[in-house]
Amino acid sequence: MTVIFGLAAVIAFLGAIGVVLSQRTIYSAMSLVLNMVALAVLFLLLDAQFLAAVQIIVYAGAVMVLFVFIIALLSPGAEERVRPLELRLLLGGLGAVIFTLLVGRLTLNGITIGPHGRMHGELGPFAPTLVNAHGQVQTLGEQLFTTYLLPFEVTSLMLLVAAVGAVYLSRRRRVAA
Amino acid sequence: MSAAATSVLLAVVVAVVKGVLIIFVLMTAFAYLTLAERKVSARIQLRYGPNRVGPFGFLQPLADGVKLFTKEVTAPEGRDRFLYLLAPALAACAAMLAFSVIPINQTICIGGTHGAGPLSASCPGGYPLHWDLAHLNIGLLFILAITSLGVYSIFLGGWASNSKYPLLGALRSSAQLISYEMAVSFALLGPVLLAGSLNLETVVNQQHSLWFVFLQPMGFLLYFTGALAETNRLPFDLPEAEAELVAGYHTEYTGMHFGLFFMAEYINMVTVCSIATVMFLGGWMAPFFFLPTWLGPIWFVGKVVLLLLLMMWVRWTFPRLRYDRLMQFGWKVLLPLGLANLMLTSVFVALH
Repeated sequence: MTVIFGLAAVIAFLGAIGVVLSQRTIYSAMSLVLNMVALAVLFLLLDAQFLAAVQIIVYAGAVMVLFVFIIALLSPGAEERVRPLELRLLLGGLGAVIFTLLVGRLTLNGITIGPHGRMHGELGPFAPTLVNAHGQVQTLGEQLFTTYLLPFEVTSLMLLVAAVGAVYLSRRRRVAA
Repeated sequence: MSAAATSVLLAVVVAVVKGVLIIFVLMTAFAYLTLAERKVSARIQLRYGPNRVGPFGFLQPLADGVKLFTKEVTAPEGRDRFLYLLAPALAACAAMLAFSVIPINQTICIGGTHGAGPLSASCPGGYPLHWDLAHLNIGLLFILAITSLGVYSIFLGGWASNSKYPLLGALRSSAQLISYEMAVSFALLGPVLLAGSLNLETVVNQQHSLWFVFLQPMGFLLYFTGALAETNRLPFDLPEAEAELVAGYHTEYTGMHFGLFFMAEYINMVTVCSIATVMFLGGWMAPFFFLPTWLGPIWFVGKVVLLLLLMMWVRWTFPRLRYDRLMQFGWKVLLPLGLANLMLTSVFVALH
């Protein structure tokens, strides 16, 4: 398990670096795909099989394919640098540190670290063992359609609005031309 | 050695053996599917087909393999070297990986007692021998995920060749695959709803009294149509329409690089037919009640072979669709029908 975690983590990290450092847009996009697949492996290690599959189907399989599609159609050249490199590095680094601290604080919520670095804490209602006993897809579906019904419906409405807006914009231009 | 280490070692050994077996079987299937395709097309067109190498041409795949390996490899000068090589490798990997969750037979319990009922997959106290490489709870989603990654191989192959026909083929192909993936997924959700599980073995076990093809005839038709498009088979083989695009995304590939694309295509056919067998045709269940049930893998392979022959029959019977019609058919016919089928099934399951 530890070996797989290490490998997946390193690959995810390399993918993330590749997105930023690649000179050519298509390599950036493919690095992002690599990063997403490695993240899916990490989800699998956390016993979140459903999340891993959805991560690949939605992000790597659909969203990124469209990105790559656009890259091939438009074949953009070298990217334009708007701000000086040092400033961007500084801002980006600062953002990364703050984000890591926030996520780390949230993750460690209610967990105390005892001697020998062992972690103690109460298991929440969605601990892997409990979720697996009930079934992962079942748990997720039940929560989605009971506790989190309103956010779920609002999100889907938002996506619908975006889709309608995109269709409207593209059609209006065609009529004008 | 501790008990935990032994069980890990056992799991690794079993996985490796299964993996090698799957690769071997799929490679052989690929070799003989190419022969079968040529024989079937020959029958349909009143020809003999290959019959020079070995009896009835049975050694033809071997000769083809030698030819592919020894041919001179030529590649376009302006290609993207890394992606050009990555694409065919990715195609073959994705094709083989998708097969790893397909159960060919029900779980066999070695030692220990079999769980309640002859169809249960549980095995307390013994070693459960699963007939798939990865016994996942989300088997079906895994297949959908892996096949959705297969788009990249086609796309990158066309893009990295830096040539006009491959690029056009790749663009067509990615648009087609994304569109039909929706229809295929909706068609597969019907059996999932009926079985109440994404685990493929559970889906098959739920069909012990009645195959889902009888409850979901619409879903089966939609799936099979979508699957033809997903595997780039006629009448949906627009990505490589030879009359317009020379050979589509793999125009600039030669030798075994082309061979890997070719292999991926046929292995995808096997996978797609296996999914249809598992989801709709009762997997390893015997076709008639008086036939022995312990021949599970034989029934499974038989159903897959029948579906494969049907795919070939379709290929040599129907002409190719025009591209705009293809997209219209996917979005305006297959998808709404799939949605309607899904809604009807949901109502049925909710009332039942």
